[in-house]
Amino acid sequence: MMLIELAKRLVREPLVHFLAAGALIFAVWGGGSDVADRTITVTEAQVGGLTGQWEQQWHRQPTPAEVDGLIRDLIKDEVYYREAVRMGLDKDDIIIRRRMRSKMEFLVAAQAENEVPGDAALQSWLDTHRRDYATAPALSFDQIYVGSDPEHARLALAQLNKGVDPATLAQTLSVPSKLDDAPSGDIDRQFGDGFAKALAALPPGRWAGPVTSGFGQHLVRLRKLTPGAVPPLASVRKAVENDWREANRVARENAAYQALLDGYTIRIAKP
Amino acid sequence: MKLPMKTSLGLSIALLALAACQRTGSMNGKTDADVKLTAYPERVYWGDTHLHTSNSVDAFAFGAKLGPEDALRFARGEEVTATGGLKAKLDRPLDFLVIADHSGGLGATQALYDAPRLFIRDPTLLRWHDTMHEGPQGRLKVTAELIDLAGRNALPEALRDVEAQKKRTTKIWTTHSSIVERYNEPGKFSAFIGFEYTLMPRGDNLHRVVMFRDGKERTDKVLPYDPGQGDTPVSQLWDYMDAYTKATGGQVLAIPHNSNVSNGLMFEMVGPGGGPMTAAYARRRAAHEPLVEATQIKGDSEAHPFLSPNDEFADFGKAGWDIGNLTMQRKSTPDMQAGNYVREALKRGLAIEARTGVNPYKFGLIGSTDSHTGLATGDENNFFGKHSGVEPGPARASAPQNLGNTQGRFGWQYLAGGYAGVWARGNSRSAIFDAMLRKETYATTGPRMTVRFFGGWDFGKDALKGDWVKAAYAAGVPMGGDLTGPKGAPKFIVSALKDPIGANLDRVQIVKGWIDAGGKLHEKIFNVVWSSPETRKAIGDRLTPVGDTVDIATASYRNTIGAPQLATVWTDSEFNPAQKAFYYVRVLEIPTPRWVLFDVLRYKAKLLPGTRLKDQERAYSSPIWYHPKG
Repeated sequence: MMLIELAKRLVREPLVHFLAAGALIFAVWGGGSDVADRTITVTEAQVGGLTGQWEQQWHRQPTPAEVDGLIRDLIKDEVYYREAVRMGLDKDDIIIRRRMRSKMEFLVAAQAENEVPGDAALQSWLDTHRRDYATAPALSFDQIYVGSDPEHARLALAQLNKGVDPATLAQTLSVPSKLDDAPSGDIDRQFGDGFAKALAALPPGRWAGPVTSGFGQHLVRLRKLTPGAVPPLASVRKAVENDWREANRVARENAAYQALLDGYTIRIAKP
Repeated sequence: MKLPMKTSLGLSIALLALAACQRTGSMNGKTDADVKLTAYPERVYWGDTHLHTSNSVDAFAFGAKLGPEDALRFARGEEVTATGGLKAKLDRPLDFLVIADHSGGLGATQALYDAPRLFIRDPTLLRWHDTMHEGPQGRLKVTAELIDLAGRNALPEALRDVEAQKKRTTKIWTTHSSIVERYNEPGKFSAFIGFEYTLMPRGDNLHRVVMFRDGKERTDKVLPYDPGQGDTPVSQLWDYMDAYTKATGGQVLAIPHNSNVSNGLMFEMVGPGGGPMTAAYARRRAAHEPLVEATQIKGDSEAHPFLSPNDEFADFGKAGWDIGNLTMQRKSTPDMQAGNYVREALKRGLAIEARTGVNPYKFGLIGSTDSHTGLATGDENNFFGKHSGVEPGPARASAPQNLGNTQGRFGWQYLAGGYAGVWARGNSRSAIFDAMLRKETYATTGPRMTVRFFGGWDFGKDALKGDWVKAAYAAGVPMGGDLTGPKGAPKFIVSALKDPIGANLDRVQIVKGWIDAGGKLHEKIFNVVWSSPETRKAIGDRLTPVGDTVDIATASYRNTIGAPQLATVWTDSEFNPAQKAFYYVRVLEIPTPRWVLFDVLRYKAKLLPGTRLKDQERAYSSPIWYHPKG
């Protein structure tokens, strides 16, 4: 296997792209490559990394000659990299600048993404975002649909209160005539936005209304109203963790940038 | 010591990435088995089976920044920031979502974009890399080229090398399935694992969404199947699905879409190679593809005026899409149209069944978005565009649209829509998937109408009274079912309830297709129930139009016409017991403004002459099939 062919093969491998880009970043970000330094040290760990990649690619161990080839290529990378930086080739290249920025952002994001929050952090998040996790109020009620005219609905309500059978006043509509312990979201989904909220305001235990749905006018008998409550962390842990991680990622990205930005004095001249 | 520090930092990041991959388990710690199922489907679950995120080659190249996590959060009803910077939130969450990123080159454009320039040797890839970094216009240009080359079987070798792509695909696929698991919440929200199979020989669209019933522990054992370029047979996809089932014990189905741009190939009369379709082939197709996506952003595939000249509503979502295949490499000719549309396929299925004994096109109907923005938006007033290059703004409605060449298709021809309604016994992956296998599904072009459809022989006068749904299940079959008989003429219960926050209904139609003794195929549309029957009369097969309350200037309408609910029991008085037939329901809303009018209102968009400003949105049920006994 000629060195050049191997290199060609490797450059088609996205994993290699990633690792190579990573090495480039660590070199800059971690202060690893000192471009003024004229010594290049190849460590055992690096050689181990190179042979590991080789094995993944070819499913066998490289021969000693192939290992030497890999090392020569690593050194060539390093030499060209340092020389390129010395010559300032990175300075005026918009592509390189964008790549550097996106890799920095990636590094910051990857660290935030992988942080595993403890109970205390999650409980604290739950405590400060109680409304986001509170279960919806649940309602039990009977309803009849009486068409689109509110005036007609009021007359029908008067009849109901005189003891007329609701079934004789109801017009056909294929929504449930009774619901038990239905979450408010499910009610709104079937009757339209705001229906559950209007129901919750009715006096319980007797026919009342009319309440307007997406279909028209309804008369309603509220039987039971269970207010929403904040569940214990254990039962919403995954949801809290998802939200915490998402918020944490954004906050960390912002903080990381701010920390770097704080090291600069910014002067802006606007025309 | 400088160098070891580099190594340890690299290693720790690699380990953390691995830890991220291994987080599994549903959002609420429940499994499907914990979800209490009702005795019969009591409510319809709404979802999108066809959403792309930045992991799709074209979506990323179009600029999409939203990945699977954003897509899931959005579908569940949370606010996210769209690629273009607008805040986006669904006013009503969905019940389920299938993220279906293209398997072909999964993550490839992102990898190319992220790759160090020094390492790219292929001149085409290098040019694409640079062009993409020039900005959004560059990304659009690259995408158009990429789709065009894929259609011509001319992608650069680096993108065709299956082995070289395998590692990248594995990483993306398993990371993706972990995210999906985290947001799956049995009982509340079903997050499905899936992908899109993107076969398009010469630009003829033969795409399928492939969706799994199972979780990560099974799906991680396979990779999403990529047919590559060129003319591989669809049966290879079915081989892949069979192999998955055999290896894991799981279940998987495929959903064809955009038959409208397949140039006649989606619903052929012939088998592979051009000979008559065999019974074995027909059986395989029907078994693997129980559903069809009948409507979506890239047009509506229900019916076409050319094929159904007596159907006054068949022109919905046809403009621009019926002139050529997906990439516009080949124009469409009249002989191709019959293989492009769902109603015709249902009829062709009867003809193939008459010859072979098996109906390959015995499928249910759903709608979905095919959005490439990570946002499953299906409504006219929240249309976020086909892809992130055409998120809301003043220019998109009149811009030539950019699939391959830019001849004859314009932005306004995109539809804001497509959702799938599924009558399942609960909200879990298994319950929804099983309902899909039963074909107890319907398509809508966006609005969430509640549509019930039952066929039977014994529905009485009280068929729509009281607790009628339970009785209908006991006495008949729901949409997607089969009636065997005859026992007199078949009766159908149909009930359509408007979207509770949407437009009133104009009418309910039953579309019948059948095959006569001579093997000839027929169709007929019956208006079975409509609003204001006291003033609107049927003249022949036509009905007085419902009217129009759309106010162009304010992009609004009023529900002063139409009805909130339409329901009836209908008997097929033209029934011939010897003829195999199918029946499906089409529900039409009153006219409402299209998304282009909201762009005019919000962004002062300029429209081209001929831009369609309003439409009657609709729902299509899965059919019920009638078979003579014996």
